[in-house]
This record gives sequence, C-alpha cells and structure tokens, in this order.
Amino acid sequence: MDWKQIANEPWIWISGFIIAAVALYQATFFMMKALNIMKQNGLDQKQIIGIVRGATITSVGPIFAEIFVMVALVVALSPGFAWQREGAAVGSVFTELVQASNAAVGAGQEFGAENFDMLGFSNVVFVMNVACIGWLLVTGLFTPYLAKAREKIGGGDHMWLSVLTICATLGVFGYYAATNLVKMKTTAGVPVGIATIAGAILAIFFFRLSDWIKSPRLKEWALGLAMFGGMIIGKLAADLLLA
Amino acid sequence: MATSTHLQATDIDEVTYEQQFTRPIHIVGRYTNLFGAALMFLPSLWLYLQYGVFPPTEAILVGMGLALTYAVPFYIIEPISYYPTLGDAGTYMSFFAGNISNMRLPCAAVAQEVAGVEEGSKKGELVATIGIAVSIWLSIIAVFIGAVATGWIVQVFPPWIQDAFKTYLLPAVFGAVFGQFALRGFKYAIVALILATLPLLLAWKAYVVIPLAVFGTILIGRLMYRKGTTQVEEGEGHP
Repeated sequence: MDWKQIANEPWIWISGFIIAAVALYQATFFMMKALNIMKQNGLDQKQIIGIVRGATITSVGPIFAEIFVMVALVVALSPGFAWQREGAAVGSVFTELVQASNAAVGAGQEFGAENFDMLGFSNVVFVMNVACIGWLLVTGLFTPYLAKAREKIGGGDHMWLSVLTICATLGVFGYYAATNLVKMKTTAGVPVGIATIAGAILAIFFFRLSDWIKSPRLKEWALGLAMFGGMIIGKLAADLLLA
Repeated sequence: MATSTHLQATDIDEVTYEQQFTRPIHIVGRYTNLFGAALMFLPSLWLYLQYGVFPPTEAILVGMGLALTYAVPFYIIEPISYYPTLGDAGTYMSFFAGNISNMRLPCAAVAQEVAGVEEGSKKGELVATIGIAVSIWLSIIAVFIGAVATGWIVQVFPPWIQDAFKTYLLPAVFGAVFGQFALRGFKYAIVALILATLPLLLAWKAYVVIPLAVFGTILIGRLMYRKGTTQVEEGEGHP
C-alpha cells in the first residue's frame, strides 16, 4: 500500500481522537472545578457567558491561522496526521513543521520532497510525537513545585503577585513582539512588525474605549478586533510596500 | 472598567481553594499529562502493529537528535516562564493542548479582563482556567473540521485572506496581547520590551532571551514596585 494511503487510514485518526479525548477530559474537569468554586463566590450566569464569549471571539483568529498553516501538513503528509498532531499535544503548527523536517532528515530524506516515502513518514510519526513528551513530563511532574516557588516569591502580597503576573506576561509577549519588530521582514522583505505595532495600538484603543464608553461587552471583542485589525493593516501595508 | 462586571473584590478563602481546586487539579493534571506522554507512542506502535512499519534506530537517533536540540531548552524554559501567567490548571492544560502564546494566553487574558478579576489572584486563575478550557474545546473541534475539510477551506477563502492569516495574524496577536498588558503597567512594558529587544539585536538564542525577558522584567518590576509602595501614598502602588 502507498504510504500516502496508510497515512490517512483509521489508525491515525483514532490515535488523534484518543489523545484529543484526554485533553478534553482534562480541560472539562478543570473548567467544572473552576466554575463550581467561582459560582460559590459570586460568579453569575451572565458573567460566565461573557467569559465564554470573550474566549470564543479571541480564539477565532488564531484558529483560522492554525488551519491555514496546517494545510502544509495536510498536503505534505495527510489530513489524518495533521489532525493527530494538531488536535492536541503541543500542536503549534509552526513548531510541527520544523520537527517534521528534522525527522525527515533523520531518515535521509527531505520533508515533502520526491524521495519522501514510508520510511520517512514512519520516522516523522515517531519523532514528532515523542519529541513533545518533554513538555508533558516536565509539567506533569513539576507543576506543584512551580506553584510553591511562586508562593515563595509572592510572599503573600496580593498586589505584588498581580504585578509579578503582569511582568511575566509582558516578558513573554515582549519577547514575541520584539522578534517581529527586530526582524521587520518576511521572506519577501516585508516588515511584519507593522502588524505587531498596529495590533498593540488597536488593543490599547479598544480596551480604553470600553472604559470610556462604559461598555464591558467591548472587552470581549477588544483582543479579537485588535488581532484582525493588526493583521489586515499588516497585510495592506505589505501590499503597498511591495507594489 | 465598568464596576457592574466586577466580581467581589475579596479573594477566595485559602483552605476552600486548596481543597476544592488546587488539590484535585494537581492530581488529575499530573496523571493526565503523564498519560498523555505515554500516548505519544501510540501512533508509532499502531503503525508497527498494523502495517509492520517502524523506523530504523539510526533514523530515530538522528531525527530525535535534531528535534531535541531544538526542543529540550524549551521543555524547561517554557513551563517556568509561562507558569506565573497560566497558573496550575492553565499550565497542565496548555502544555497538553499546545498553542500557548497564540491562543491559550490571549484567551486567559481576555477572560480575566471580561470578568474584571486581578491577575495573579485566585479568582484570576479560576477565570483564566475557564477561558483556556473553552479555547481548547474550540480549537480541537475546529482543527478536526479543518483537517476533514481542508480542500473546501482553501477554495472558499481567497489567497489574499489566507496569506494575511498565515503571515500577519501571529505578529498582530503578539502586539495585541502586549498592548493589553501594557495598559496594566506601561513602565513594566517598557522594561520588558528593552530586555527582549536588546539581546535579540545581539542575535542571542530564544531559550536565553525568553527567561531573560520574563525574569528580568519580574526582577526590575519588583524593584520598581518596592520603590513605588514605599514612596507613594497608599493605593498608588497599584499596577
């Protein structure tokens, strides 16, 4: 049987379903626990709907981006494999494409090229899945210790804990924003940093606006709108510069 | 921020939180993530049992060597760096389901903003947990539809839109979340941006720059916070 055919047989789809089912069980269990305790502490139905709506709106853009990039995995390997890898289990498609190339090189082949065969595919399946075990092991074994470390650093000062979390988040996103600002280039030589700057300005504008016009509903949309706006401005700027 | 959406200012009782949330989260989180690690062998095992195909040791060693060179630093750096933002439940879930910086963290941030809870508080962590869990359900369903209907999706969306999403959405996401949190403390945002940009200009590796940006901002933030709380009047030390 051709490797392309094997790569989309039920075994890979079912493997994907099993892994996704565990991730969904975990997410649902945690969410129910969080909802129970929040309901006892004053969270009402309206606020729950607001949180769900906010998370949904914010997810839409990144989900579409993931699906469009996922097309590369679907075309080069198979829809079943793309589902197994992207459904759950550290499935950032950007990392996945790098790891697929590494696995193919390991088999002496090139990912997506003519010489890629069953041997290359089996190595991609092994390497891509097993290489993400590290994150699961580290978080599975050491998360309670991270909690203790945070408590120690926090020292019971709630306001400082809030500042600490804000600083940590700014550090993470400062890094990712800076990578785009520093490069300021795509392969075509276009500054993607414009999208980053536009996203930041729009987010600040929409969150501020929701306070000014006293519209909490706008907060649910703010990040989603800033993402889309930043993306469109980035793309339009690129088109203009390339023209 | 409109006060009507705010949850009560007081945080949740320590003992209740420990018994009803933290303890069960750590137990289930540990077992599911370790079980998830074991499940990563399932596709290769199944491929071998049904079709008799298994990669030769040499191919595995070379492939894993290359893959691990890329991934190992992040096994340690990412959970430590993201933990203060994600919290316990968020860490277990996000490192199982992936797409942390582009999806889980933004959803957690918006959920907290919508609920009007403080970052780093117990309520903040619970609300972030709900936001992250919702995003996991959505992304798994969407990826399944995406995998089944790729051809249709590629046909329906014009190439201009696809290119916009592929190339420009992620940079916009990073800018937008940074902007949102800059509102919570502009002085800390400037520190974070400087600490991330300078080493990147010097072409330092990501596994050095990420912890430097995160822990450097926390450290300088701590100094600024201490200075602020001792110098200004009560209440002005708030981020």
